[in-house]
Amino acid sequence: MEGPDRAEQFIPAGLAALGIEADETDLAVMNAAHAMFWPSIRDLLAMDLGQLEPEPDQDLSRAPDQR
Amino acid sequence: MSALDLSLRAQAAAIAAGEADPAELLDAALERIEQRNPAINAVVEAFPEHSRAMLEAAPDGPLRGVPVVIKDEWPLPWRAQRFGAAEMMAATAPGESGPYLALRDAGAVIVGVANMHELGASSTGNASVYGPARNPWDSERCPGGSSSGPGAAVAARLVAGSVGADGIGSIRFPAAYCGLTGLKPTFGRAAMAGHHMDGVSTTIVSGPLTTDAADCRLLGSALFREELSGGEAGGLRIGVIRDAVSEDVAPEVREACEAAIEALRSETGGEVREVELADLDAAALATVLIANVESLGDSTAGRLNNLDPEIGPINRGFLKYRMLLPAAAGVKSHGIRTLMRRRLADLFEQVDVLAWPTVPAVAPPLEAPLVELPSGTLTADQANVRGAGLANLTGIPAISVPVGLGAGKLPIALQLQAAWGRDELLLDAAEALERANGRRWVEALPPLAEAEPAGA
Repeated sequence: MEGPDRAEQFIPAGLAALGIEADETDLAVMNAAHAMFWPSIRDLLAMDLGQLEPEPDQDLSRAPDQR
Repeated sequence: MSALDLSLRAQAAAIAAGEADPAELLDAALERIEQRNPAINAVVEAFPEHSRAMLEAAPDGPLRGVPVVIKDEWPLPWRAQRFGAAEMMAATAPGESGPYLALRDAGAVIVGVANMHELGASSTGNASVYGPARNPWDSERCPGGSSSGPGAAVAARLVAGSVGADGIGSIRFPAAYCGLTGLKPTFGRAAMAGHHMDGVSTTIVSGPLTTDAADCRLLGSALFREELSGGEAGGLRIGVIRDAVSEDVAPEVREACEAAIEALRSETGGEVREVELADLDAAALATVLIANVESLGDSTAGRLNNLDPEIGPINRGFLKYRMLLPAAAGVKSHGIRTLMRRRLADLFEQVDVLAWPTVPAVAPPLEAPLVELPSGTLTADQANVRGAGLANLTGIPAISVPVGLGAGKLPIALQLQAAWGRDELLLDAAEALERANGRRWVEALPPLAEAEPAGA
C-alpha cells in the first residue's frame, strides 16, 4: 500500500500522468503534504461505510431528520 | 475617548441619537487606519471616496454610518476580490456581493478591504500577496487565518466590526488568536452571493468578527438579513468531549477553557455532560478534503504550469498536490459527513452546546507557526483543524469567545457549537459567559489599541 515513504514514486508518477510540472520547491512541499495527509487518507480509505444509509437531498442548513 | 472606541452597537446608537457625526466617525476610522495599520497590515486597501459615497447614500438601517471592513474574499462594486493572492484560480470581477449588499442595506460604511491568508489556505495568516497581517497582541505572532485582516483590524480597534468567511475555521481562528468573538453561522444562513465559490462550496459561510457577542448579534443580523433575537441560555446543557480537541491542548488553554465552561454552567444554572463523538480526526480530514476538492474546478495542468510567480511556495506546491487526491477519499469524506451529521443530531438531543478550545494553543510566531502540545510539536494548521472542521463539515453554527490570556498575554478562546439554526443560542451563551467573567476578556485591549496615537 502507498505510504509516505513512497512519495518519491507516487508524486512524480501522478504529476506526469496529469502533465503537471514541478520544480524542487514544489516537490519538497508536496512531499511534506503527502507525509502529513497520506497516513490519514489511508485510514479514511480503510473505513467501511458500506452500511451507512445515504442522506437523500442533504441540506446542510438543517439537521438530517428535519426535512 | 474616540467614538471609534465604542462598541459597534454604541456607535450605531450614538449616530441614531444624533450624538455622533458619522462623517467624523468615518474620518476617525480612516485616520486610525493610517496610524495603526502599518504595524499590523490588517487593511490592504482603503477607498475614502467610495466610503464617503456609501455614507452619503446610507439608509436609516441598524448600522447607519458605522465603519466596518470586509475580507478580501468578497467583490465590491469598485473592486474585485484578490483572495490574498497574486492569482486566483477562479474568475474574479468587481460586483455587488451578498455581504456588500447586506452591509449597504444596513447603512454600514465599508472603509477598507482586509487582508487574508493567501487563497484562504491556512489558519495562521502568515502569507499573503499583501504581506502577512500581524497580531495586535504581539506583532511577531500570527493573527489567525484565513480572515487575518478582519481579526487584526477589530482587535486593533481600527473598526468595531468586520466581515470574514469561514470554510475551515477561518473566522474562528483569527477570533481566537486576536481575542475577539467570531461567529461561523449555520451553513446557508448568512449572505454568500457573489463569492467565487457560491454554489460550489459546501463549507464556506460569511460571518461577523467583533469584540463581543452583542456586536456579533448586530452585525450577524445584517449579514443574515434577519434579526438574531436575544434570549437567556438558561439551564444550558454543555457537552464536553474527552478527546484530543479538549485534551491535547496547551495546559494554559485547557485550564482557561475548563474554567470558562464551569463559569458558563454556573451562570446559566445548567449542567456539564460528558458525551462521546467518535471519529473527529476523520471528520477534520474529510472537511479538508471536501473543501479542497470543491476548489479544483478551475485547476488544469496548463494553469498550474503557469502560476503567477508571486504565488507563495507552499500554495504553489499544494495546488499541484491536491490534484493527486484520490477520488475515493472524496467519496469517503461525504460518507463521514453523513455519519457525523447523524451523530450530531443525536448528540444535540442530549446537550444544547458542545464546548472545546477553539485552538489548542495561543497564536504562534509568524516566522514558524508551530505549536507545542502534550502530544508533541505540530504545525498550527494541523492542530487547529481538529477542532474547527466539524462545523464546516456538518453545517452547524459555531462561535469563538475569548476566555483568558496566556502567559505571553496572548488570547485564549473557547468554541461553542450548537445544532443547525441555533446561532442565536450561541450568542446567548456567549453573552452569559461574558456576564460570568465580568466582561473581562471581551474588554481586554491589546497593546496596540491601548496606545493612544500621537496627536489623537
